Order: sequence, then structure tokens, then C-alpha cells
Amino acid sequence: MKNTYVSIFKMQFKGELQYRAKAISGIATQFFWGIMYIYLYMAFMSSDTIDGFTITQMASYIWLGQAFFALRYPGMHKDAGYEITNGNICYKFTRPINLYNQWYTEYLGEKLASTLLRFLPIIIISILLPTKYSLSMPANFTAFILFLISLIIGGLLCVAISMYSVYLTFITLSPKGTTTIVATIANLLGGAIIPIPLMPTSIQSILNFLPFRYISDLPFRIYIGNIGISDGLVQIAISIVWLIIIIVSGKLLIKNALKKTIIQGG
Amino acid sequence: MLYNKYLKMHIKSSLEYKANTIFLATAQVLVFVAEILGVWMLFERFDTVAGWGFYDSLLMVGIVMTTFAFTECFARGYDEFPNLIKSGSLDRLLVRPVNIYYQLFGAKIEFSKFFRIILGIVISIIAIININADWNALKIIVLIATYMCGCVVIFSLMLIAAGISVYTIENLEFVNIITNGSKELAYYPLNIYNKWLTRLFTFVIPVACFNYLPLSYIIGVGNIPLWLCAISPFLGILFIIPCLIFFNISLKRYQGTGT
Repeated sequence: MKNTYVSIFKMQFKGELQYRAKAISGIATQFFWGIMYIYLYMAFMSSDTIDGFTITQMASYIWLGQAFFALRYPGMHKDAGYEITNGNICYKFTRPINLYNQWYTEYLGEKLASTLLRFLPIIIISILLPTKYSLSMPANFTAFILFLISLIIGGLLCVAISMYSVYLTFITLSPKGTTTIVATIANLLGGAIIPIPLMPTSIQSILNFLPFRYISDLPFRIYIGNIGISDGLVQIAISIVWLIIIIVSGKLLIKNALKKTIIQGG
Repeated sequence: MLYNKYLKMHIKSSLEYKANTIFLATAQVLVFVAEILGVWMLFERFDTVAGWGFYDSLLMVGIVMTTFAFTECFARGYDEFPNLIKSGSLDRLLVRPVNIYYQLFGAKIEFSKFFRIILGIVISIIAIININADWNALKIIVLIATYMCGCVVIFSLMLIAAGISVYTIENLEFVNIITNGSKELAYYPLNIYNKWLTRLFTFVIPVACFNYLPLSYIIGVGNIPLWLCAISPFLGILFIIPCLIFFNISLKRYQGTGT
């Protein structure tokens, strides 16, 4: 059974690697947006720091966001929504496989491959930029290790949140509309539209009680040293709890939705 | 009139999938609400940026939102031009005895953008009520021209993208950078960015002509001569001329893709 998911993952991974041209233009886009956002926030942050968040840290935060764009954007696997709306999902019922696990691994594979294709060029270019705009080195070695751990958890969390889009597609039957709504909410509350350290403090304290900031805000802030080691460890623990809650609830919801699915022939 | 028939046809077809159209439109509105919240949060934290306040920026958001949605709604055929080439539908349009520009305007009308037009107008009105400006007839004319300029410039960008796709067949990502980039850049006064970015979006692509230039005149800020700010939207409209010429040349070169 383990092997099934490993091969689903590999298949998605290899498939995604085929789209190299798409990746190159994607990198160019990410790069342009990165520069644009840095200039924008620099204009707002006229003094060099705001509550301990410096312009250099802000630039690093933006570049990490651009480099790991695919990992932080909750979408939906291209087949999942299509299968649900056109009825091909009935073929999936004939297979002895847990559909949640399949969709989860498929989407994780797609995300991981597109991240691996894109992140390195952006990281390299952004390190080489003039210091004010560049991606700086991690705060320290421990911070870097914690960054990696929380980034992996963040990626898993992002896919878990994406599975809610799959569930909602069963109800709305519009994969495009559903993913747009889920992604917009997650992006706004997770600091992908405006970095959380630049938000009003009252809103920041509300966002601490929600799962979305553990997708990318936590790893990035650990990397730049805006969140210390001990605080980081506590928050990583919280993010693991959120991950479990969201996966378990998502599994239950999808199981429920599958029970109610009616295939109308055709 | 032919356009009325097109209009009726598209209204009917979008009403076929009423729930879907409304749902998609709601999703799009939510995206914009999130973006406005983003703008609001920045101003809530930092108060002003280079002398501009929240409502000044909100008016720019309103302008961008209204003009983009309006153009994407009624000129969708130009926006989807690369797809027309790829699928070979363009050949079908070219053999018909009706002007190609006219047909492209009717080829697709996207009513799910309608909510966004309304939202854009509402946002604009909220901003106009709250900004600090002494209104007079001339300023109102400049404001109306600003909206027109926005539509024309966005339409011109679509023409360029369409023209390029004649040669490349594919829809190129970098064209999206320019259109979507200018959209998001223009939520804020363009002169707060770095110099080369400001210059690019003032002199090469005249986004500034429906952004900080006319608003400098209306609100009365900045150090650019006010008369120049006042006529900027009219100058921006001229951008369509080279774009039309380019699109025409490309269309003449079109040979079909064989599909």
C-alpha cells in the first residue's frame, strides 16, 4: 500500500518536471513581483525598522515568499476538480485506494516538483542583489534547521488546506471558484498578500489564533530571526497540532462527501 | 444591430449557468476585497506613503478595478486572442464579411466581470467622497478622462499581447507581467516606487496617466506642473495609436496555424 502512494508521488513529480519552459517564465514573473513588492514596502517603511522588522529582513521575507511560492499557495490538483465535476471520479471508486491520500500525495508531488524547479534560481539571484534588496543569510544555523522543519510542515499544511477546496468542490461543483475563495482567504490571513509583520498589531494578534500563518509566515520569520529559537520551537509544535486537526477533519469531510456522491450515468 | 445580437447571445449563455456565473463572480469579488484589505492594512499601520493617504490610494484602486473589469468584460475577445489563434477560430472570423475589430468585440463578453465593475464604481465613489479635493468642472472632466484613459491603455496592452501572439502562437507570461503588474502597481501612486519602475510605467506604458498624474492635479499634491498632470489622461489615450498599428501589421502577417 505504501508503494502505491510513492509511485503516485513519483508520477506527478516527473510529469511536472516536463514543463521547464513554464518554470522559466514563472521564475521571471516571481522575480519581477519580488522587486515590485520590495520597492512598495520600502516606500511605506520610511524608517528602517518597524517593531524590530528591518527593511533587510523584509526583503528576505519577500524573496523567500517568491522562491517558495508554489509551496505556500493552496490550489487544487488539476485532475481532482475535473474528476469531481465531470463524473470520472466513478472510476476512482473501483480502485482499492483511499481517495484523500491519493489526492493529497498527487498534489504534494506536483507542488514539490514545481518548487524544486523554481526555488534555486530565485534564491541565487536574490542573494546576489545589492545588500539592501537581497536575501540575507539565515539568522544562525539552528534557525536555518528550524526554518527547514517548519517549511516542510508549512508545505504539508498548505496541501491539507487545499484538500478543503477539493471537499468544497463536491458542494459547489466549481473547482475554479472554490480554489479562488480558499486560496484568497489563506493568502490574506497567512501573510501572502501583505507580510504579517507589516499588518496592524491588532490584526496580527488575531492571526496568531488561526492556522494560516504557519504555512509560510512562521518559517520565513524563523529564517530572518524575527522569531527566536525557543519561541520558534513552541510555534512549530502548535503548527503540528494544526496540521493534524486539518488533515483529520479534511479526511472525515471527504469521506462523508464520497458517501453522498451520486453518479448520474452518462 | 449585430452587436445587440452578440450581447443577447452572451447574456443568454451566461444565464444558462447562472449559479456558476454568480459563484465565479463572487469569488472574484472576494479576491478584490482581500486586496483592498491589504491596502487598508498598510495604511492603517503606516498612515501615509510619500504624502498620499488611504483614500487617495483607494481612488487609484477604484480606477484600476473599474477600468480593468470594464475592458476585460467587453474586450474579452482581444484578451483571448491567442486562444483564437491556437484553436483556429480566427480564420473563421477573418472570412466573414464583417470588420474584424467589430467581431472581436462581440466574440466574447464576460458577464462575471460585471460585479467587479460595480464594485470598482462603489470603491471609487467611497474614495471620491473622502479625498481632500476642491472639486470644480475641470477636475470632473479630468477624472472622467482618467477612467477613459485607463480603459484605452488596458485595451492597448491587450492589442500588443494579441499582436505578439500572432508570431509566437503561445500566450507569453511576460505579457501577463506587464498587464497584471501594472494593475497591482497602480493600486498605489506609481511615484513611490524606484525611479526606473516609475519611468517604465510613465513613459513606455502610460499607466501613470490614469494613476498619480491626474490625481496629483485633482488633489493638488506633488511637484509636477499641474497643467501637465491635467492633460496627462488625454496624452495617455494616444498610446493606442502605435498599438493599433502594431496589431494591424501583425494581423496582415497572420498565416493560420493549420488547425
